[in-house]
Amino acid sequence: MASYLSALGVLFQPVNFIMMYICSLVGCVLGAIPGLSGGLGITLILPMTFALNTNLSFAMLLGMYVGGVSGSFIAAVLVGIPGSAASIGTCYDGYPMTQKGQAARALSIGITGSFIGTLVSILVATFCSTFIADVALKLGPWEYFSLCLMAITMVVGLSKGSIFKGLLAAFFGLWLSTVGSDMVTNQLRFTFHNTNLYGGINVVCLLMGTFALQQVASSYAKNNLTMPEVDAGSLKGFGFTFKDFKDNLRVIITSLFIGLWIGFLPGMGSGISNLIAYGQAKKMSKHPEKFGTGIDEGIWATEVANNAGVGGAIIPMIALGIPGDGTTVLLMSAMTIHGLQAGPMFIKNNPLLANLIFATVLISAILIFITELLTKRWFPMLLKAPYHYLYSAILMICFLGAYSASTSMFSVYLVLVFGAIGILMEFFKMPSTPLMLAFILGSKIESYFRMGCSYAKGDMTSFLTRPISLIFILIAVYSVIGPLISKMLKKKKATA
Amino acid sequence: MKKLNRTYVMGIAFIVFAVWVAFQTALIPEKLVSNEPGPKLFPFISAIGMIIMAILSMIFDGKKEKEENEHGAAPYLDKDGWKRLGRIMLECILFCVAMNLIGFWITSMMGMMMFIMTLKVDKKINILFAVVLSVALGSLCYFGFTKGFNIPLPKGVLFEALGIRMP
Repeated sequence: MASYLSALGVLFQPVNFIMMYICSLVGCVLGAIPGLSGGLGITLILPMTFALNTNLSFAMLLGMYVGGVSGSFIAAVLVGIPGSAASIGTCYDGYPMTQKGQAARALSIGITGSFIGTLVSILVATFCSTFIADVALKLGPWEYFSLCLMAITMVVGLSKGSIFKGLLAAFFGLWLSTVGSDMVTNQLRFTFHNTNLYGGINVVCLLMGTFALQQVASSYAKNNLTMPEVDAGSLKGFGFTFKDFKDNLRVIITSLFIGLWIGFLPGMGSGISNLIAYGQAKKMSKHPEKFGTGIDEGIWATEVANNAGVGGAIIPMIALGIPGDGTTVLLMSAMTIHGLQAGPMFIKNNPLLANLIFATVLISAILIFITELLTKRWFPMLLKAPYHYLYSAILMICFLGAYSASTSMFSVYLVLVFGAIGILMEFFKMPSTPLMLAFILGSKIESYFRMGCSYAKGDMTSFLTRPISLIFILIAVYSVIGPLISKMLKKKKATA
Repeated sequence: MKKLNRTYVMGIAFIVFAVWVAFQTALIPEKLVSNEPGPKLFPFISAIGMIIMAILSMIFDGKKEKEENEHGAAPYLDKDGWKRLGRIMLECILFCVAMNLIGFWITSMMGMMMFIMTLKVDKKINILFAVVLSVALGSLCYFGFTKGFNIPLPKGVLFEALGIRMP
């Protein structure tokens, strides 16, 4: 406790506090812009921190991290394009709510959901870090493989339309993830001597193409040129009542656990947790058919879960020295730069810094919550920007974002290719989310599967003989077969 | 006129693609590491999965779409819609090619103007404002990234070949 108070004292030193706040705001803006992210912000300020003291450096980096995750829902709600993969699920109900003229309500739920997710998760991280890390240590590649598999099948199960088309998209995404150098034998696959493909396909290109470019091109082709109206009446206050909050408490608590759990599993981040939480909220709901039409539960689930991943991802980083998600990889690089060793001894050897990390996330979340609530009424102003100006800027930023992600023109051309694929998928009524998730998880699934086989001396049944792995596999199978059986039963009932 | 069954087209396209994937996978040299399935396994799983799902989709969803078409389902886009889609995609291609040839700064300003003129459709706009916005946003992005964040952006292979130095 004394160490935590000392950390707060350091954080409230004027320079540390102001820089943390500025970085939180910049992260929030970067998170809101499709194609950019808090991770990009961390990458950009990382070289700056070489010359700064460790406490100030981490106050800035963590502020940027929290801001980036918190801001990503803004574009998802206002224009239906996720600021990052963390807010893909928010598009499903956030944007339809905006289209119904309730932009301010959708924003309020997003702001509050983000705050609750970060607040609770960082409190859990602060007090239970060591204990939770011990549990994670007991899981092996078998459990991680099964968990990834379950994540994909759950998303396929919740995707609109045909489950076969969802699975087809997932297998296509899985193939895309195999492009590049194989991580075990270093064997090149599907690169065709193109050096740009040796490292695999950049996720930013896929995100920009299948979401942003596809959305702009398809809106223009369909002549959907009217911007949604802003509900000026609910711009003040929270935009929703305490009763609304209470009604969604079950979804909020469930999403918190999902976000925390997925966040602290190495390699899995808020890009996955928001989609699983959305699927779970839909399953728990008494009216699942309303999901995707702009209902509260959809936004609560995704925003609470993706922000809960912040605290969740920090746990394995600090306690095990394993990054919880892509952004914590960057934070660990910063630790190395400052001569620190993340791992089981980190809290013991650096109690002040460990607590400063927890405190920065907490204070940043509070500051962002207050700032977003106070400035919320200006967010929907974006919708008043005429379509032709707004989407022209988005198109330009898409190509800029793709280039800056790898400083290669090849990435820019890939955006075009994935834009065309996104349009074709829409034409064929194929959902794009399973493709995205399978692509993100593909390399992990493959690596965990091969590690599992290797550790079990080639025995593939090891995935079924370990109880936790078996449970995940059974859930995965049920996620695919369950909807088919219930559909058949419904059909049988209707004909009877 | 008989309506195109999109699910059948999709199914056939994916089966052809998956066969190509399987063929290419077979060409990957095998580097054996003990007790490990090797680099070919997952591409093969993807290819087989795509074939099975494409067939299942053609059987179940294709039939459903056939019935919908018979009941007069709305097309994905009308003739003008396809023209608009072609135009915006062409402009995006042009933007990317120009970005490489004449660099990001000039392309962003001209490209933004081009996108505005296309996306405005029949709306009347203030041309001067559109020009100022294109120049301001393009310049802000270019100098913000190159000078502020130290991220290099394309300066244009054409200018480099001519020995012209861009800022």
